[in-house]
Amino acid sequence: MILSQYAIVAVPILMVCSLVLLVGFGWRGTQIALSVQYLAVFWLVTLSWPVGMAAVKLVVGLMASAVLANTQPGASDRDVLPPSGRIFRVLAAVLVWIVVFSVYPSVMTMTHAGEDVSLGSLMLMAMGLLQMGMSRRPVRVVIGLLSFLAGFEILYAALEASVLVAGLLAAINLSLALVGSFMAAVPALESDR
Amino acid sequence: MNAPVLWIGLPFGVAMGLFFVMRRAGLATGISAGLCLVLALLAWQAPIDQLIQIGPLNFKISSEIVILGRRFVLDNSQRPFLTLVYALGFAWFFGAGVARPGRLFWPAGLGFIALLVAAQAVQPFLFAALLIEMAVLLSVPMLSSPGHTVTQGTLRYLIFQTLALPFILLAGWAAGAIETNPNDTRLLIQAAIFMGLGFGFWLAVFPFNTWVPLLTGEAHPYTAGFVLSFLPGLALFLALGFLDSYTWLRDNPNLPVVFQVISTIMVVTGGVGAAVQKDLKRAFGYAVILESGFSLLAVGLRTTVGLQAFASLLLPRFLALLLFAFALTIFEQAGVPATLEGVKGSLRRLPFASAGLLAAYFSLGGLPLLAEFPVRQALIEAVAGQSLVLLAWVLFGSLAFWGGGFRLLANMADSQEAGWKIEEKGLAVVLLSFAMLAILFIGLLPGVALPGMQGLVLRFTHLQ
Repeated sequence: MILSQYAIVAVPILMVCSLVLLVGFGWRGTQIALSVQYLAVFWLVTLSWPVGMAAVKLVVGLMASAVLANTQPGASDRDVLPPSGRIFRVLAAVLVWIVVFSVYPSVMTMTHAGEDVSLGSLMLMAMGLLQMGMSRRPVRVVIGLLSFLAGFEILYAALEASVLVAGLLAAINLSLALVGSFMAAVPALESDR
Repeated sequence: MNAPVLWIGLPFGVAMGLFFVMRRAGLATGISAGLCLVLALLAWQAPIDQLIQIGPLNFKISSEIVILGRRFVLDNSQRPFLTLVYALGFAWFFGAGVARPGRLFWPAGLGFIALLVAAQAVQPFLFAALLIEMAVLLSVPMLSSPGHTVTQGTLRYLIFQTLALPFILLAGWAAGAIETNPNDTRLLIQAAIFMGLGFGFWLAVFPFNTWVPLLTGEAHPYTAGFVLSFLPGLALFLALGFLDSYTWLRDNPNLPVVFQVISTIMVVTGGVGAAVQKDLKRAFGYAVILESGFSLLAVGLRTTVGLQAFASLLLPRFLALLLFAFALTIFEQAGVPATLEGVKGSLRRLPFASAGLLAAYFSLGGLPLLAEFPVRQALIEAVAGQSLVLLAWVLFGSLAFWGGGFRLLANMADSQEAGWKIEEKGLAVVLLSFAMLAILFIGLLPGVALPGMQGLVLRFTHLQ
């Protein structure tokens, strides 16, 4: 009950987390932001699903975050952008937020989902797309994909409550994290040729 | 015995087992190719849901299994499809014994095929999107060579294929909503847009196809060819299934026009892209785009001829892509750069690989006497009956593609050396020769080789 009453709070949390992921505050910052982001996703999914089923999103998200973190030993310095890059990304994110705030009422009409669900979902999907478009590093791209899918899952939870879909989406999220960690580790693997 | 367990569960289980023996290429080749051959023969000969008697042994392969309330169905109508998929799997895995595309090819490849078959079998349709995404994720390690950084082509492939997932799921949701509210035109438009975007990403339709030449240009040609043979081909089957299932979509008057315009753009971009390429691996990517364009064009004609052409194109397409990828691999193994400059004079040094590459290229282009020509001719005649403008653009794309092929031939034949050498290894020569003969055989005797392919589309009863 309390979760649904204050669900709109999850939206600014998602905005901050996705911004941290986009700008990049070292690897630890990224991992914390990803974990908190999944907490907010869980919050919004509880509006459509029972808490037990929605908890799958949280657990899977935290596991995905941990899998990605394990492939980044001592990578914190490489992740930090120069100030000009950070400013550029913040400005890009602000533009995306403006677009999302202007578009989300149409999504609400289309899907009959609530304001917080539509806004949170679109916000995360848009920021995920931005992350994918602005990064060439495999792990960053995978984080963008995970954010995009998490945003979609918030919306889709309001439309479909199938256990098999939830299970397969969880498997996809985990597999995506594993693929991300594989791609980060693959240059160090023994070559075939 | 159960058909989904046999054709999905068993190969998937074996794929997981192959991870433990993947460093032993011979064993991995034997297991994966052998299993695919057995499954193809079973699909060809063993009827589903009927009593089979072998000596004193009586058994029945049932068509259905239920997992978490969802049905996986492989019935008799899907046997031609299963035969084709596993026969091609056999060819690809057998060829991999020579091509050596990387140790992850066998386990990931077999799992990839099993998941794509599962996507065809699952009901309702929307679950297919999730299974295809899992297949895509399984294919990424196969495309990333250990010891090398992940290429941008692989990343874009992952991104574009993953972006398809939400759109297909939303299309499934909208299609379900339309069944309860069939007069809601806004919902119809939304469903069509979601479906268009979802399949656009899956099939690498223009403008979502930039990753194709990038992927082929950077990844191992054999693994890239494997993925690009199976994924768009099977996604097209799903698209046909979707069209066949929903009347509102099938009867949409704008749909054929959309298909025709997009496919023509793909034919032109594929043809021109291949013609101006100096990198043969990237040209391979453009050849895939051209080929997918023709397949979409066949579906977009919305005639029985078009559907038959789509089915008949599958075998020549798979054969040509396999030969193209295999020939490029032989060039790489021989240390010859896969560029126009690099293959200069290669006809005298690597005659079988060079001839194989040319045969595959021109077959994909629809050159007379080669495998795709009879179907292409029928398709082009059907296009001419519907629109001359479309015909002009399709011919332009094809001719541009041929131009690239003749340039390639000129480069390969341009040699200062007098003598001939055969630098390919024995088994590679045998495989290349077999594939070239198969392409020539289909081209010369299409009436013998291609009618069997019609069984692939018989289950789409509403599209006939």
